[in-house]
Amino acid sequence: MLEVNWLHLIPLLPLCGAAICGLVGNKLPKSWLYAVALGSVFTAFMIGLSAFGLVSSETGASALHERVFEWFTAGKLHVDLGLTIDRVSGTLVLVITGVGFLIHLYSVSYMDEDAAYWRYFAYLNLFVAAMLLLVLGDNLVAMFVGWEGVGLCSYLLIGFWFEDDAKASAGRKAFIVNRIGDFGFLLGIFVIFSQLGSVSFADIHGATFAAVPAALAALFLFIGATGKSAQLPLYIWLPDAMAGPTPVSALIHAATMVTAGVYMIARLSHLYMQAPGVLAVVAIIGALTAAWAALIATSQSDIKKVLAYSTVSQLGYMFIGVGVGSFVAGTQHLLTHAFFKACLFLGSGAVIHGLHGEQDMRKMGGLKKYMPHTRWTFLIATAAITGTIPLSGFFSKDEILGKALQTSIFNSLRMWPGGPFMTQLGLVIYLLGSATALLTAIYMWRCYYLTFEGDYRGGPDVHPHESHWFMTLPLWILALLSVVGLVLGLPEPIGEKLHLDWASWEHFSLGVFANPPISNNHESIPEWLTYGIALLIGVVGWRLAVYWFGSGSEERSNKLVAAFPRVHSAFEHKLYVDEFYNAVIVRPLWTGARVLWRVVDVWIIDGLFINGTAQSVAFIGSIARRFQNGDVQRYAAMTALGLAFLVYVFLR
Amino acid sequence: MVGPLHYLVLAAALFALGAVGVVIRRNAIIVLMSIELMLNAVNLTFLTFSRFPLVVKGNDAPIAGHAAVFYVIAVAAAEAAVGLAIVIAVFRSRLTVNVDEIDSLKN
Repeated sequence: MLEVNWLHLIPLLPLCGAAICGLVGNKLPKSWLYAVALGSVFTAFMIGLSAFGLVSSETGASALHERVFEWFTAGKLHVDLGLTIDRVSGTLVLVITGVGFLIHLYSVSYMDEDAAYWRYFAYLNLFVAAMLLLVLGDNLVAMFVGWEGVGLCSYLLIGFWFEDDAKASAGRKAFIVNRIGDFGFLLGIFVIFSQLGSVSFADIHGATFAAVPAALAALFLFIGATGKSAQLPLYIWLPDAMAGPTPVSALIHAATMVTAGVYMIARLSHLYMQAPGVLAVVAIIGALTAAWAALIATSQSDIKKVLAYSTVSQLGYMFIGVGVGSFVAGTQHLLTHAFFKACLFLGSGAVIHGLHGEQDMRKMGGLKKYMPHTRWTFLIATAAITGTIPLSGFFSKDEILGKALQTSIFNSLRMWPGGPFMTQLGLVIYLLGSATALLTAIYMWRCYYLTFEGDYRGGPDVHPHESHWFMTLPLWILALLSVVGLVLGLPEPIGEKLHLDWASWEHFSLGVFANPPISNNHESIPEWLTYGIALLIGVVGWRLAVYWFGSGSEERSNKLVAAFPRVHSAFEHKLYVDEFYNAVIVRPLWTGARVLWRVVDVWIIDGLFINGTAQSVAFIGSIARRFQNGDVQRYAAMTALGLAFLVYVFLR
Repeated sequence: MVGPLHYLVLAAALFALGAVGVVIRRNAIIVLMSIELMLNAVNLTFLTFSRFPLVVKGNDAPIAGHAAVFYVIAVAAAEAAVGLAIVIAVFRSRLTVNVDEIDSLKN
């Protein structure tokens, strides 16, 4: 580990950018503001690149570290603000600043007409700073600050157009749901501190925990991850988060922030390896979320909602990856997903921008004629996410599913005390993940065909047009990256032949994550077979989508919908989860709050305690006042009576 | 045979009369007179114990009762003089000696 003194510049620069944009942004000329906002992120990118170069060279240090300052000491707890960069966090820094820069560039054109553009760029820079702190922090507390910071920026940006009540409440929903998860994160930190007396990753790395505290800490931290990374049961905020500007959805709600939970689990891989039961929970939740969100995505008509549920579903894949103990596969999908999902979101943003705010896919269609760049990049990213060989998504998704099939990490777990072992859990997850892959192919191709193929179905007064190159350039770069990302996951023999094996993520991230046990549950299934199955699933999904939506309209699929109206309506209404939460959690809370307000507060606290005290004092006073009336003779009478009483008592 | 009890009962009756007069009468002069009555009831008690020294064990200086009575008479004379002077002053300014109406310190 090499000690350096310039790592703090990486998060500090965007933070300064945020301060400048936020404090004096409305007084600066627009071009200066853009220079500050884009320049700070780009400089951070360049610094990140040099750091990345240092840690990725074979001969250099495995990690850079900077102790910025001593943060606080309280009793046994000692926390430094320390930053550390290794190959994984270095790569993520490049993704955050690189994709972040592209999205800043895109936003220049996208948000140009908005009066509050300076506020937007301030938030966006602040987000980049917080996300960098999350990734770079060398202890859980620093990570938690970044964790909360990105949550704050997410809230601010979802509710960016807060004049619209629905958007403002979508921001609040995201914040509140995230707070529930953050509570779990905090508890996890407490458990680790109580066991270890330290919160730094370096100490956690080498520590051996007892079984129960390890499971508790891992589970609490995973609750935090379900909030931030939109997993069951806390995923509900992410689809609503689409109320924010589309570049925000691309950066925060697809590429970076929502993957923080996956990153956190991968960073704490040594802790999680000591809690295989929790890993099983992670994998099961991931698989269920992936399938659940994919089902909903098939029936959404808002293009951004489709992408949002797709993100939830893909995050589920990442959790499958880390859950089966393959932290490499989970983080690899995190990286490739960042590229193609950001590309998809920016593409949808270009479509929405070109159609003057229209988000309903039923009013799109045939846009390939008007928006060739958007169409091609969207096509590439769609191909990547649906697992078309040889794009990046194919390898990273197949890596996860393959590892799920092979994993032996659950072999020692029992379903219940004394029950059978969970040796087949990996297989179940593999099957569920593969079914989800089929759904992914269907709903993503549906999205593509409804948007770009067929005839234009929008109103005559809307004239679709291609966007400025500020918007199409990031699209192309991201599309290129979602192709090039394949080098991360090339199978070993092919990689060696192409001399690209150094770039494979498994090789590159060696030594950062804990290694899953070597033994393989399904030795007999060769790798090419899982590749073949994955490929087949992708093609079948595509053909089904072509059959149903290939004409660019939903005519054929409507027959299917007519056959199962109830199923479709359930999917369309997001499986009634929001309604369920409303009935089970929100309404009882409301009722409870009303009871507290109307009964406990108004009657008991205000009425009984506060006014009651005052009134009883006044009542006693009104009685006592009668004796204090200034009539000397009455005093004398009282004195005489008192004297008589005393005489009676003492002389009795 | 007239014993100490007779004197003491008379003194108690006089004191009670004075006390009731102080409490229930509204004329300031009558109130002052009632106070005199109470003081004299006390004087009578002193003299009783002086005259029958053996009533209280260890009372070997009966002259002390006489001394106390003279003292009370002197103070009572002074009190009557001051009290009557105040009553006259109040009557001059307010044209009444009814104690219920002399309440300007109240409120």
